Amino acid sequence: MQIRMVGLGVRLAILVTFAVFFIGPVVWLILAPTKSDRALIENSPFSFGDFHHISLAWKHLDAFSSHIFRRWIGNTLFYAFSATGITLVAGVPAGYGLAIGNFPGRKVILSLTLVVMIVPAAALVLPIFLELNSMHLIGSSLSVILPFSFFPFGVYLAYLYYASALPPSLLDAARVDGCGELQTFLRVALPLAKPILALVFFFSFVADWNNFFLPYVVLADSNQYPITVGLWDLLSATPSFNPAVGGGGQSVKIFKPELALATLIAVVPVAIVFLFSQRALVRGLVGGAVKE
Amino acid sequence: MKMHRRAFTLVALVAAAAAALVSASTSTASRNAGATGSITVWVDAVRLPVAKLYVKTHPKVHVNIVTFDGDGNGATTMQTKIQLWNRTGHGWPDVIFSEQANDPVWMGQKPFDYALDLKTVFPKNLLKGWPAPSIAQCTVNGHLVCLQDNLAQEVLYVNQKLMKQFGYSVPTTWQQWAAIGDKVAKDHPGYIIGNIGDSYGAWLYLWADQCPISQVVAPNTVRINAGDVHCTRMASLLDPLIKSGVVPPESVFTADFATKWGGDNDKILMMPGPVWYAKDIFGGTLHVPAGELTAAMPLRWNSEPVVTGQVGGGPWIVSKHSKDIPAAIDFVKYATTSLAVKSKVNALSPGYPSYGPAASVWLTSLNKDPYFAAPEGPAFKAAANLIWKGWSMVTYPDQPVWSNTVVTQLVAGKTLSSLLPAFGDGLAQTAQAAGYKVVRK
Amino acid sequence: MTSSVLTSEHARATRKRGPRALRGLPFVLPYLPLLIVFGIAPTIYALDLAFTNVGGGWVGFHNFVRTYHDFRFVSAFKHVLVYTAVWLAALMVFVVGLALLLHGRANKVSSTFRFLFYMPGALAGSAAVLVWLFMLDPSVSPGSFLLHHVLGADIFAQSIAPGNLPYIFAMIAFWTGAGGWIVVMYGALNTIPHDLEEAARIDGAGPIAIALRLKLPLIRKWIAYMVILSFATGTQLFVEPQIVQTASFGLVPDTWSANQLAYQMAFRYADFNGAAAIAVDLLLIGLVGAVLIVTRSGLFRTDD
Repeated sequence: MQIRMVGLGVRLAILVTFAVFFIGPVVWLILAPTKSDRALIENSPFSFGDFHHISLAWKHLDAFSSHIFRRWIGNTLFYAFSATGITLVAGVPAGYGLAIGNFPGRKVILSLTLVVMIVPAAALVLPIFLELNSMHLIGSSLSVILPFSFFPFGVYLAYLYYASALPPSLLDAARVDGCGELQTFLRVALPLAKPILALVFFFSFVADWNNFFLPYVVLADSNQYPITVGLWDLLSATPSFNPAVGGGGQSVKIFKPELALATLIAVVPVAIVFLFSQRALVRGLVGGAVKE
Repeated sequence: MKMHRRAFTLVALVAAAAAALVSASTSTASRNAGATGSITVWVDAVRLPVAKLYVKTHPKVHVNIVTFDGDGNGATTMQTKIQLWNRTGHGWPDVIFSEQANDPVWMGQKPFDYALDLKTVFPKNLLKGWPAPSIAQCTVNGHLVCLQDNLAQEVLYVNQKLMKQFGYSVPTTWQQWAAIGDKVAKDHPGYIIGNIGDSYGAWLYLWADQCPISQVVAPNTVRINAGDVHCTRMASLLDPLIKSGVVPPESVFTADFATKWGGDNDKILMMPGPVWYAKDIFGGTLHVPAGELTAAMPLRWNSEPVVTGQVGGGPWIVSKHSKDIPAAIDFVKYATTSLAVKSKVNALSPGYPSYGPAASVWLTSLNKDPYFAAPEGPAFKAAANLIWKGWSMVTYPDQPVWSNTVVTQLVAGKTLSSLLPAFGDGLAQTAQAAGYKVVRK
Repeated sequence: MTSSVLTSEHARATRKRGPRALRGLPFVLPYLPLLIVFGIAPTIYALDLAFTNVGGGWVGFHNFVRTYHDFRFVSAFKHVLVYTAVWLAALMVFVVGLALLLHGRANKVSSTFRFLFYMPGALAGSAAVLVWLFMLDPSVSPGSFLLHHVLGADIFAQSIAPGNLPYIFAMIAFWTGAGGWIVVMYGALNTIPHDLEEAARIDGAGPIAIALRLKLPLIRKWIAYMVILSFATGTQLFVEPQIVQTASFGLVPDTWSANQLAYQMAFRYADFNGAAAIAVDLLLIGLVGAVLIVTRSGLFRTDD
């Protein structure tokens, strides 16, 4: 019994140490908008300023470039939800098909999916840009949404899930009952897919939310930027990060607290999606549905 | 694919020729008829108020304003965008403001080939208002590829209150400045007379002493001679000061700098720096108390004539693909010379205007600012014409080379003199990678 | 009578099942256009760029030789190989370890920790600049004690001294990336049927034995997936050095990693052919790693 307690204690200690490592900087970030730019440097990192500074920081942030911050958040929500929708509809069934199927070319598709994940983005940017241009999509939201909806990582997750968590006996049970392939999928694979749908939704949403490189290259108009590119613009307007605006940047009124607030606001949707997907992730075991 | 491209190029050339003919005949007309037209301008956050004011005061002109990151600090935003626009054959903005002083150099050459030669289209009487070093900086292979919006000449900032307190007189030579540094290290440790940790440290100390490490001597040929006496003598002057801590290898933009020497500590005795430090850096970033600072003339080497360096000074560039060059020129004219923009020190014109007549008015406004102990205007104005012309803008940024070959090692304790050869080598490699022929003598 | 009923039922079932050889293919079809347009075609174009010059003419391995002789090439690849070694070690040990530690009872506690571990990953790359500029500056960082004693740093420039960089970047990458993988591993652990665990416990196995001898082998495929991807993303490091390069105003070069060099080739020098060559180098490294891991772990097998 004592060994159990010690074991539990050690386990907790390790978890708490890592939690401090992961969350410490985030706590700093949360407290940053409560302080003035000067207090951020001079006071203790975990000190709390006051609520007045938060509203001041928001005022400056919102005033930046005619409320463009709100637009950036809106854009990102639109891109992420649209692309993730397409990813779920195209990618999860694809993972299922690759896991249960045996058609010629299955291994090729799997390999190509993996290979494409490994190709460096710098090499793909120009071809994708030229493709989008030839489809006359440059300048439209589709130039961002369509590339985003190609999410091989999600397809692979779905493949792994169905390959290891869905015993063939379950599928055979359905087929013996007389179901065609589509019915089998809808009746057996899909209801059991809640965890993998949640997982793919969540990773796809976050990947889309955090994607910087593609929108940075294909979007010319700052009004269409997602929040990642927008934050980069904000960073460039902050004197502490961009000596080139050191003189004159003061009137733009974006300093470290405003930047911290912008960062935090940008994290909120992801945090919500995470919490939402977590519950579905934990549920869902296959055991018990198979007749011995 | 190639045939398609060739055909497209042919069509584009014909279209461009036709457009040139048409615009040549209508440009006089539009100038006289009052500003109309349609342009797209790319500005950074600091220049946005100017663009907005132009829109307000020119209701007949349709201006599409796009804000971007300004391409500062060695970024490659504009290279990326222009390349992609070049490949698709459309999308170029008519006017761009860049925070990188050397952007126009590659914009004016192949393969980017974006910049319009302003010599022929910008009103000549206005061009005379720019100081000669500024025009020289914007001239690439004989073409005037940009116009500086503001100057960034280097002066010597002095904390008058502290100088009086310690009984020092304002130095006029580097030698006197160094001598004060030695005294400060002994009598008032903790105070500083400058810093060398910023990415543009080379501009502050080497450019100001005519060190030839960025000197275009022929088309596509640059002289990088870090062993020149002008470089080595400055390094020898600085080494004891860096060692004793009065010229630390830290950047004014770090939190550490503000904590150690700004704010309540108020330990900045003197600092060579560009005109844009003024209130924004000392007051805003470093929180130095009001009523203490002023600016003095840039330092000279013993009895040699005064020259100084420059730290930036953003240019406006006009596109040669622009379909409405008169409107684009009108915009740049307004942004750089109009007193509606340039008369006061405020959000519209935070920096020292390059256009001389506007600068005079701006200086009057600056001299009234109670933040300073004494007017900075006279030093600013004098320094504007003293920028050493032997430092050319090149297609590659040199700040990263300074930062990662020199500053990282200064921090580790090495001397600047010992790092000059490596700095020269780093610059030479960067220049060669950018396609330059390098002369090392 | 019975045999004919059986055979007709069997026949009906077979007919409904459809041709066995193409089973699964219809589900994959909507994904294929995306794979081709945004995956395969651009990859082929990039490969083409690597072996041609600006005019489109074939130049064989010239781009590869040329970029190899760039003065930044060797150090860029050296940097990423050291970084990847540190990064993979940290991932394999800590991610799997933490996931195993979390997978037990006390679900609410576990989910709280998972949330805490995951949160940094939600910070977009450019947002992390602000955070790490402060975390790495000994004068304002909450971790200044560690910076001083582990890195010997009193000022920011010392924290990011060249020798420290692989470890700094691995730490930042771990901070942002570990949480996501912990979630995946945790989900993987959840696919292990409860009865297996119960059986082992009844047999007298302690928690460590269960973790290492039962759970670990069963999530082998997921670990392999993580290692393949992390090996590739490790060698393709871009965001962390780019972030620190910005935050340090150039103290860290913008070509520290091989991927950054490829990016600079493409966009600063308009040398897409050179960039493609470096990208192919990185791709080959990633592929070699992937092939080794796939064959070793049987990632593509679906029979177990």
